[in-house]
Amino acid sequence: MIGALSRHRPLALLAAVVLAQVLLLAYQIRRSHDVRLIRYWSVEASTPAAQGGTWFFSRLGGLWSGYIGLRNARTENDQLRAEVAQLELQNRELETQANEAHRLEVLLNFREVHSEAQMLAAQVIEASADPASETLVINRGEQDRVKRNMAVITPDGVVGKVVEVFHGTSQVMLMTDKNMGVGAMFADTRTHGVIKGTGDPQPVMDYVVNDEKVAVGQTIVTSGEDKIFPKGLLVGVVASAKDGNPFQKIVVRPAARLDRLEDVIVLLTQEELAPGKPGTPYTVSPVPPPPPAPAAAQIKSTTTGDVIPGRANPAKTENPAAPQSSAGVKTEHPVGTQATPVVKPDQPGGPAR
Amino acid sequence: MASMLNTGLQSEQNIEVHKFYSGSVVLVSFVALILQAFLHKYGRWADVVDLPLLIVIYFGVSRRNPVTGLLLGAAIGIFQDGLSHDNPIGLYGIAKTLVGYLASTIGAHIDTDHPVARFVLTFAFFHFHQCILAFTERALLNQSAPYFSLHLLVDSLISAAVAVFLFAALDRLRKSS
Repeated sequence: MIGALSRHRPLALLAAVVLAQVLLLAYQIRRSHDVRLIRYWSVEASTPAAQGGTWFFSRLGGLWSGYIGLRNARTENDQLRAEVAQLELQNRELETQANEAHRLEVLLNFREVHSEAQMLAAQVIEASADPASETLVINRGEQDRVKRNMAVITPDGVVGKVVEVFHGTSQVMLMTDKNMGVGAMFADTRTHGVIKGTGDPQPVMDYVVNDEKVAVGQTIVTSGEDKIFPKGLLVGVVASAKDGNPFQKIVVRPAARLDRLEDVIVLLTQEELAPGKPGTPYTVSPVPPPPPAPAAAQIKSTTTGDVIPGRANPAKTENPAAPQSSAGVKTEHPVGTQATPVVKPDQPGGPAR
Repeated sequence: MASMLNTGLQSEQNIEVHKFYSGSVVLVSFVALILQAFLHKYGRWADVVDLPLLIVIYFGVSRRNPVTGLLLGAAIGIFQDGLSHDNPIGLYGIAKTLVGYLASTIGAHIDTDHPVARFVLTFAFFHFHQCILAFTERALLNQSAPYFSLHLLVDSLISAAVAVFLFAALDRLRKSS
């Protein structure tokens, strides 16, 4: 380069001098918008270079961010995945703890509202292996003073009763079990009947005559006649009702969520529960504890094999009219021996009678 | 005319490089510039002959050195631009730089002492100078300067004629070899 310049020194000098004067001219000349020509040239000359540089560096940046910069992306991705999995697990644990805390809070509230009643909180630890059997196992047993035929409930409503007691566990039969029966009545009309499990998620209420007006959504509570469940516990609501022979076919939607039980309450007494806070389903007035049912009235149910105190089994006695509506056959029931339930006017089950 | 040029054409080794008395180049150039500016105010006729251009041509072909020729052309051209009230600096400078370089280059190859050769060279360089000026004005100043016209032709003939006598007068400033 230098050798070529020295060989053509005059020509190089000519080029330099002419170029210098051209630049000098360009510096003096002003184009439109009063822009000096040299500035115009500079911008025009630098614009393609700047655009090219911008394009190059953007491509280079894209190459870096798209390929080279992603060298550690796989490792980082794996780490993030592991972190996400750990966080999800932690989140699930927290959700579980929150749900458990909520359940325990509900139980605690229930316990506080009914502080006069002896009850025991229990956890469901096992379900029945037999699909036809609607039973489950709780973590309370003989050592916890649990006995057979004790009522098992939740703050939502009736669950079932204890059918077997072991040292540390107990077996609970759900109200949906086909061998289960619960003395019940409509909260508003006080018409009595029996809740019978069918093996399906929804039990039926039997022994309600066709003349009785039953509406969908009507509240059903325990009647206390079975000597297992205290009077006034919410059982469920009427899901459907139609005439049958000789009684109505009333399907009941249980109030307790029997398909997702985790924590339950074992009532250690059969005393009626004190009325809860307004809005709770247990707003039955406290009544004196019922006297023991007459032995003659205790008939073994053919369907359950369990004793339902004060309830004659129509299948056994072949007396379908035995359980009557509360209007006509109250005196035939041991209800008469029990304290008459008093429903408060603000009771959700209906008007006081 | 071609035969005259041919007779004046000599080999590079035989061409004499003329030297001038010290300061004569600067002095003559300065006088030419002043005279050009001085006569300009007396009318259009003063613009017919571009005295600085003739000086650049003369010293270019006489010194036969492209470097000094282009530098002299640049200096005279820039000075002429400076004396012009509306010309940007460099307009005449570029043209006269190229003329000085070309004149010295040509002068290094041919004998330019013959009057006819001087007439022809001056005529040619006049139009070359005009072409460079027109190109520069068109390209940089965005002006529509003519490359050639009848008026320019007349001017070039007059300039060439003046150059024959002027160059003969300037020959007296040469140092005797």
